[in-house]
Amino acid sequence: MKKRILLSSLFMLFCFLQSMAQQRTITGTVISNDGTPLTGASVVVVGQKTGETTGSDGTFTIRVPESAKTLRVSYVGYESEDIPIAGQSNVTVTLKSTATNLNEIVVTGYTSEKKKDLTGAVSVVNVGEMQKMPAGTGEAALQGRASGVNIITSGQPGANSDIRIRGITGFGNNQPLVIIDGVRGDLTDINVNDIASVQVLKDASAAIYGVAGSNGVIIITTKKGKTGKAKVTYDGYYGVTTQGKGWDMASPQEEANAIWLQQRNSGIANPSSKQYGSGATPVIPDYIQTYSDTNNHAPYGYTLCNCPGDSIVDPKFYNINTAQITKANKAGTNWYKEITRNAPMQSHNIAVSAGSEKSSYYVDFGYLNQQGILKYQYLERYSIRANTQFNIKDHIRIGENAYLYYKTNPKQNNQQEGSPFSMGFREDPIIPVYDIMGNFAGTKSQDLGNAQNVFGNIYRTKDNIGHDWAMQGNVFADVDFLKNFTAHTSFGGNLDNYHYYFFNYVHYENAEGNTGQNSFYEGGGYSASWIWTNTLQYNKLFGDHSLNVLVGTEAISNYNRYMEAGRSDYFSENPNFWIINSGSPIGKDNSGGAGQSSTWSQFAQLKYAYKDKYLLSGTIRRDQSSLFTDSARTGYFPAVSAAWRISQENFFRPVTFVNDLKIRYSWGKMGSTSAVVSTNAYNLYDANAGRSYYDLQGNSTVPMRGFYRQYIGNPITSWEGDIISNVGLDASILNNKIDFTVDWYKKKISGLLFDASGTRYDRIFIGDANVPKVNIGDMQNTGIDGSITYHGTVGKDFKFDVTGTITSYNNKIVSIPGLPYFDGPVIRNVSVQRNMVGHAVGEFFGYQVIGLFQSADDVAKSPTQSGAAPGFFKYKDVNGDGTIDANDRTFIGNPNPDFTYGLNIAFSYKNFDFSTFFFGSHGNDIFDNNLFFTDFPDFFKGAMRREVALNSWTPTNTNTSIPKLSTTGNFSTDGVTNSYFISKGSYLKNKQMQVGYTFPSSMLSRVGIDRLRIYVQATNMFTITKYKGLDPELQSASNNNGGGQGDYYLGYGIDQGNYPHTPAYLFGINLNF
Amino acid sequence: MKKIQYKFLISALLVVIVVVAACKKSFLDKPPLGTLNPQIMASEAGVQGILIGAYSLVDGEGAPGDGFASGASNWVFGNVAADDAYKGSDPTDISGLQAFEKWSTMTPTNDIIPSKWATMYAGAQRCNDVIKTLALTDTSSFSPGEATLITAQARFLRAYYHLELKEVYGNIIYADETVSQDNLDVSNSEQAAVWAKLEADLNFAVANLPATWPEIGRANFWAAKAMLAKAYMFEGKEPQAYLLLKDIIENGTTSNGTHYALLNNFYSNFNPAQKNSAESVFAAQTSVQDGSSTTWNGEPNGNYGDILNFPYNAGPGACCGFDNPSQDLANAYKVDASGLPLLDSWYTGNWVSAPTSPYTGPLDPRIDWTMGRKGIPYLDWGPHPGDDWIRNPVNDGHFSPKKNVYAASQKNFTDVGSAYWAPTELVANNVNIIRFSEVILWAAECAVKAGEISNAMDYVNQVRSRVMDHPETWVYKNSDYDAATAMYKTHTTMADDYKIGLYTPATFTAANAMQAVQFEERLELAMEGHRFFDLVRWGIAEPVLNAYYAREKTIRPLKSDAHFTAPKNNYVPISQGDIDNMNSDGTVRLTQNPGY
Repeated sequence: MKKRILLSSLFMLFCFLQSMAQQRTITGTVISNDGTPLTGASVVVVGQKTGETTGSDGTFTIRVPESAKTLRVSYVGYESEDIPIAGQSNVTVTLKSTATNLNEIVVTGYTSEKKKDLTGAVSVVNVGEMQKMPAGTGEAALQGRASGVNIITSGQPGANSDIRIRGITGFGNNQPLVIIDGVRGDLTDINVNDIASVQVLKDASAAIYGVAGSNGVIIITTKKGKTGKAKVTYDGYYGVTTQGKGWDMASPQEEANAIWLQQRNSGIANPSSKQYGSGATPVIPDYIQTYSDTNNHAPYGYTLCNCPGDSIVDPKFYNINTAQITKANKAGTNWYKEITRNAPMQSHNIAVSAGSEKSSYYVDFGYLNQQGILKYQYLERYSIRANTQFNIKDHIRIGENAYLYYKTNPKQNNQQEGSPFSMGFREDPIIPVYDIMGNFAGTKSQDLGNAQNVFGNIYRTKDNIGHDWAMQGNVFADVDFLKNFTAHTSFGGNLDNYHYYFFNYVHYENAEGNTGQNSFYEGGGYSASWIWTNTLQYNKLFGDHSLNVLVGTEAISNYNRYMEAGRSDYFSENPNFWIINSGSPIGKDNSGGAGQSSTWSQFAQLKYAYKDKYLLSGTIRRDQSSLFTDSARTGYFPAVSAAWRISQENFFRPVTFVNDLKIRYSWGKMGSTSAVVSTNAYNLYDANAGRSYYDLQGNSTVPMRGFYRQYIGNPITSWEGDIISNVGLDASILNNKIDFTVDWYKKKISGLLFDASGTRYDRIFIGDANVPKVNIGDMQNTGIDGSITYHGTVGKDFKFDVTGTITSYNNKIVSIPGLPYFDGPVIRNVSVQRNMVGHAVGEFFGYQVIGLFQSADDVAKSPTQSGAAPGFFKYKDVNGDGTIDANDRTFIGNPNPDFTYGLNIAFSYKNFDFSTFFFGSHGNDIFDNNLFFTDFPDFFKGAMRREVALNSWTPTNTNTSIPKLSTTGNFSTDGVTNSYFISKGSYLKNKQMQVGYTFPSSMLSRVGIDRLRIYVQATNMFTITKYKGLDPELQSASNNNGGGQGDYYLGYGIDQGNYPHTPAYLFGINLNF
Repeated sequence: MKKIQYKFLISALLVVIVVVAACKKSFLDKPPLGTLNPQIMASEAGVQGILIGAYSLVDGEGAPGDGFASGASNWVFGNVAADDAYKGSDPTDISGLQAFEKWSTMTPTNDIIPSKWATMYAGAQRCNDVIKTLALTDTSSFSPGEATLITAQARFLRAYYHLELKEVYGNIIYADETVSQDNLDVSNSEQAAVWAKLEADLNFAVANLPATWPEIGRANFWAAKAMLAKAYMFEGKEPQAYLLLKDIIENGTTSNGTHYALLNNFYSNFNPAQKNSAESVFAAQTSVQDGSSTTWNGEPNGNYGDILNFPYNAGPGACCGFDNPSQDLANAYKVDASGLPLLDSWYTGNWVSAPTSPYTGPLDPRIDWTMGRKGIPYLDWGPHPGDDWIRNPVNDGHFSPKKNVYAASQKNFTDVGSAYWAPTELVANNVNIIRFSEVILWAAECAVKAGEISNAMDYVNQVRSRVMDHPETWVYKNSDYDAATAMYKTHTTMADDYKIGLYTPATFTAANAMQAVQFEERLELAMEGHRFFDLVRWGIAEPVLNAYYAREKTIRPLKSDAHFTAPKNNYVPISQGDIDNMNSDGTVRLTQNPGY
C-alpha cells in the first residue's frame, strides 16, 4: 500500500516535469517474488514493437513514447505483469513464478542449468507422477514418462527391461548409460522412492559422456535433506497382483477329437493313439499310465473294466521310475492356474531428512517384497540410502551419497523355449499334476509329446537361492574460489557381490531326460568399479553475456570375477544336504572367469548466453579405453548446440498467447564400445575341456589338455561413431498453461561395431577362433519425440494436469559389410528375422500367407508350391514367376513400433486426488512363436489351443484361418517362417490408476502429523490389444540357441512364452511428521 | 590466510591432475584375463597342447557352428542321406534334416549343411596353428625328431578334415597353413590341386609317423596309410589304394603295436569298454565325467554328434528318437538258406519285423547288433518294445540305432548330471572312422577292379567268417548280458533265426563280385556313416536311392516327394551363407556345386 502511494506520487511528479517531451526514459528493476534479480526478462511497451531485456542485475532502461501508458514485463516461468507507467520513470517490478517447470534445475552431465536454458534435447521426468507407479525397478517406474525413451518391462518382479533411447542403434548393446549422483549405476535395483529427479539426455547433450553416451544418458539425482527441521516420511503400500486369465486350451476330449481329425486328414483311415485307443472315436482313458507287466499290459491309456486286468492300477505295483500309475484328468488340467497365483506385494519406506545452513542429511530405509504371479518367484529387497552434505565455511561443501541393498530375487527363464510360460501351454491337459502316489505326473506316460510337468519344474526351484549385496555411491567435495571458480571432485563406484545355488532334480515323470542323476551347482562373484571425476568450473556474467566454462577429467576402472562349481549324484535331495562336497566327485564341474577394463577421459564444456535469448553450448571429450590398442585408443567426441528464444525478440512480443518459445539445434558425435571386450585386439589361446581337451589315451574319463585359438585379434578396432543431430522446439503458451516440447532427430551410426564376418574372417581363414569386432556398417534412426503438459484450474478447488509423451523412431540399416543382409538366430527350426540394408533391425522375414488352399482346383490354379494341398497355406508369389520358392520370401512384419506413447492425467478436488497413466505402443508386429506348439500338433505333440481343436480347416469348415491339422508339417504348413505367426502387436495399457485422500491438516496437527494421505490403486488394470497371447509387451530374449551378433536385440518382438503383466490392486499410505 | 588456502588448493588440484595424467599409461594397460598369448604358446608344451586341440575336433564337436550333424559318425550325411536310416523324431523336429531323407528339397539355405563345413575347417585351422606356432618356437630344446612328429600328426589331421569335407561338399578349398585372414587368395574351382595337397599331407604323415605311440589315440604310420588308401578310393585310384591296403592288412598295427585284426565279437567294436581294439584303425576318442560341460548347448567331450540317436521315452538316454534304421536296411539282412544275402531281392516278400505279417526267414546275425528290433534284447535294457521306443512310427519306422549306445550296466561310460534331457546320451563310445573290416572290404573292391575275383571273395569271407565262426557272440534271449565283452552269457535261445555263410566261387562270380562286395560293405558298416559316400563313390547313388524311394513312398509320408538327381545330389550344396561370406568383397572364391 505504501509503495503504491509512493509510486503514484512519483508518477504525478514526472508527469508534470516531462509533459512536453515526445519520448521519455524509464528505468527499473525486475525481480522475482523471492527477491532475486531476473536477467533477460523482456520489457515492452504495450501496443509497440520495441522492447528491451534486463541485464544481469535485473535492471533495464527503456525509451518510451510519451503516450505509452503500460509496460509489459515478462519472463519465462513467471506470470507477465502489466505496469502502468504514466508519470513514472523508475519502476521495480516483481514477477510471480508460475506453475511451469521452466525454472526447474536440470542436471545435464557435469553441470546443471535451468530447464528453460537447455540447448539440447533433454526429457525431464515428472518424478512425483513416476513414483506413483508401484515399481520394483527403476525401469518400470520410468516407462512412458520420458519422451524418446522406450522401455519394455517384464511381468516378472526384478527382471531386467529393455531400455532404448531413440530406438535401436546397433547390433550390440543398446542400453543407455545411467548416472546416479554422478556415478555410473543401473536402474534395476534403485529404490524409486529415493529419486529426486530424472532427466534423459537424448541428443548431442549426451556427448559430454563421450564413449558412453551414444545410447543416451539417464541422469538420476537422489533426494537430499532440505533446510528445515527434521522430517520423517513414511510411504507404504500393500496389494495383490492377480493371476491373470491364462490360456484357452482345448479340453482332453476336444484335443483327442482333433488328433483323430489330424490322422484322418493325413489319410489314416483308422486313427489310433496309445492313450485314446483305436476306435472310430477317441476314448478318454481312466488312467494314462499304469503298471507294465512286461508285455502283458499296456502301460498307458487304460480304461477300467471291473475285470482282473484292473489290477494293473493297483498301487502295490507302483514304482516311481519304472511303474508310475497316473489317473487321467478327464476335465483337463489348467496348467496356467497350476503355476500361477494371486501374489501379494508390499513396500515400506521410512525416510528421515533435515537440513541447516551447515549440513543436511537424507536417510531412507526401504523394504520391498513383490511376489511374482508365478509360484515361488519373488523380489525381496532391503535398502538403505544415506545422503549427507556439509558446508564448511561458505565456500566448501563436502558430502556423500551411499546406497546399500540386499536382495533375493529368484527368477525363472522367460521368453525362451522351456521357460514356465512357454512349457505351460505345451503340457497336455489330460496329465494331472500328480500321479496316484502324489509324485509328479508327466509325458512319460507316452504319446503325449515331450512337454514337461511345468508345475514340477517350478516347484523344484523353490529351495534355490540367490543373494545380491551391493553398495553404490560416492564422496564429493566442492570448493568455490576466486569468486567465479568452483572445483569439484567425486570418487565413487559400485561394489556388487552375489552368490547363488540351485539343485537339478531328475524329472522322472517326463518323456525326455527321465534318467540321469541329480546335480547341484553353487556359484558367486563380485564386480567392482570406481569412478573418479574432477572438474573445474568458471562462471561469469559480463553485462548481457553469461559464460560458463567447465574442464574435467574422469578415470573409470572396472573389474569382476566369478566362479561356479557343481557336482552330481546327491544321496539326499534334502536342501540341508546341499553343499558342494556332499555330491559325488565323479563328473564334478566348475568354471570361472574374470574381466577388467578402464577408461581415462578429459572433457571441456563452454556455455554462453546473450541476454538469455541466444544460447550456445559446445563440448568436447577425449576418451581413451583399455579395450583398444594404443593406436586406436583415443577418440574425440565434439558437440555443439544452440538455442534461440524467439519469444524474447521484439518482433515476437505482440504474440501474447505465447509465453515462451525456443528453437534448438544440436549436433554431436558420440561413441560406443558396444560389446567390445578386452580380448578384442589380441590373438589368444585358451584351454577348454570341451573344446580342446582330447582323450588320446583312451581311458574315457581323463582327457589330455589341449589348446585352441580362442580369439583372433583386430588391433585397429576403435570407437563406434554416432552422429546425432536434433532440431527441437520448446514452448509455453496460454499463460503457461500448456508446455510442449517437440524434437526431430537423426542419428547416424557409422563404423558400427560389428562381429567381423565376410571374407577376412570366414572360418576357412580363421577356424573356430572368435572373430573380433570391427568398425563397419552403418545404421540410421530418425524420429520425432515430444511431450505436452496442460495445467489447469477450474474454480478454486479443482486442479488438473495432463501430460502426454510420444516417442517414434524409424530405424534403417544403411550398410552391412559385404553382405546385403544377415539373418537372425534360428529359433528351434527357423530363422525368423532378417537384418537387411534398407530395412529396420529385426524385421520378420518369410512367406506371406494369402489364405488357405480351398480345393485341389485351387492348388492347381495357384503357383507351384511344395507341399501345397487343400487346407494348407497359400503363399504370395512375390516375384510372380509361378513358383513359390526361397525367392518369394519377403518382409512380413516389423517388431519396431511406429510410436510409443504415455499419457498421464492427474486432478485434485479439495482433498481428493486422482491420477492415471496410460502407456501404449502402436504399429509393432509380434511373431508368436508359441503357435508352433499350440497350433501344429505335427510339430510336437502336446496341448492345443481350443480354437485350433475346434475350428481348423476341413472341407466343410473352410471359413477359417487355421490350417488343416496334419501329421507331418511341410513347406506349406509350419516348415518355414510365414505370416501365420505374425500378429498386430499394438496395445494400450492402463499402467496405473489411483484415488487418494489427504486428511485436512487441521485434523492431523493435533496428533503431530503434518500430512496423511491414503490411496487405492490399480495397476495394469486393462490392456487394449488385438494380440491373443498373454501380453503384447514383449521383452527381447537372448536366444538360447546361440546366435553370433550379440544377443541384445535378438528375439525382439518374438513371443516365446512371456511372463505377463497382470492387474494388481493396492492400498497405500503417505505419512509425514 | 584465505589466499594461502586457495594457493594450496589450486596446487593440490594441479598435482592431482598431473599425477592422474602421468598414471594414465599404466592405468589403461588392462590385458585380458584368463587367456594365453601366442608368445606363451611358442614352446614345446604349448605346441604339443595345440596339437591335442587339433585332435580334439576329430569328433566333429567343439567349435562354434558345430551341431548334431557335424559329429564324426556322419549319421546325417552318411545314413539319413542314403537308404540306411530315417531322420527320426517328429517330422518338423529339426526340419532341415528332412531334405536329407528326400533330396528333392535340398537347397543351399538348408540349415543343417553349414555345421560340418564350419567344424572341419576349424579342425584344419587348428592343424595350421600347430604348424605356424611351431615355426615361431625355438625347437633347439626339443628331442630329436619331435618337431617332425608334431608336423606329421598335424598334416595327417589336416588331410582327414579335408577328406571329410571332400566327401560331403565335393568342391572345397584346401586350407593349408598359408590360408589365413592375411591370405585370401583361394578358390574351389580346381579340385585336382585339392587332391594333390591332401595326398601330399598324407604322404608326409606316412613318411614321418612312427608305428607306435605311448597314447593309443594318436595317428600312427598305419593310420596314415589307411587314410591315404581311403583318399585313393575316393579319387578312383584303386591300384594305388590296393598296394597300401594289402600292406596294411598284412603288417598293420595299432598305435600300441597290436596287429590289426577282426575281433571275434562284431559288437565289441561298438562297446565303450572295448574301444581302441585291434580292429580300430582310426577313431574319434570320446570321454565323459571329465569336467567338460554337459549343460544344454555346452561343449561336452562325450559323443555329442549322436546325442539324439537313442530310443525315445525309455531305455538308454530316453531321448530323442533320431537316426532310426530304415525298413530297407532291416530287409537287407535277410539271407538265403546258405546264409548269403539276397543281393537282388532283399526288399521283396515280407518285411523284417513288419507290424503285420513279418518276415520269418533267416537273418544275418549282424542285424541285431546294428539295430534295435521289437522283441530282441537291446543289450541289457530288456527286449526292445518296438514302437513304444519310436517317436513317430509312421515316419520313423520300427527300429532304433544300436551301434552308438551303451549297456545299462555301463553308466560309468556316460556323462552325469541332470541339467537337461541328455547327459546320459553323452557316451564315451568311440566313433570308428576307419575300422579294419572296412580296410579289408576296400581291398575286396580293389581286387574286383583288378580282376582278382577269388582274392576279393577271400576278403569278403574274412569279414563274414568272423561272425560265422563265433555264434557265441550273437544275440540271445533270456540271458544276462556281459557289458565287458559285449556278449550274452547264456547261449541257448537265439534271439531270431540267424544264419550266415561264406561265398563260394559259385556264388561269388565276376558278374556279381562288385555287387556282393558293396552289399557286404552295407551290412558290415551299416549305420556307421559311410553308406551315402560309398553309393556316390560307386556311382550308383541315383538308381539305388530312387528305387528305395519308390518302395518307401507308399509307407512313409515324409518320403512322398523324395527324388535323387545325379550328379547334382552327389554332394550337398555349399551353404549359401558360406558362399556369401567368402565372396562378400566381390572376389569369387567359392562357387556353388553344379545343379544347385
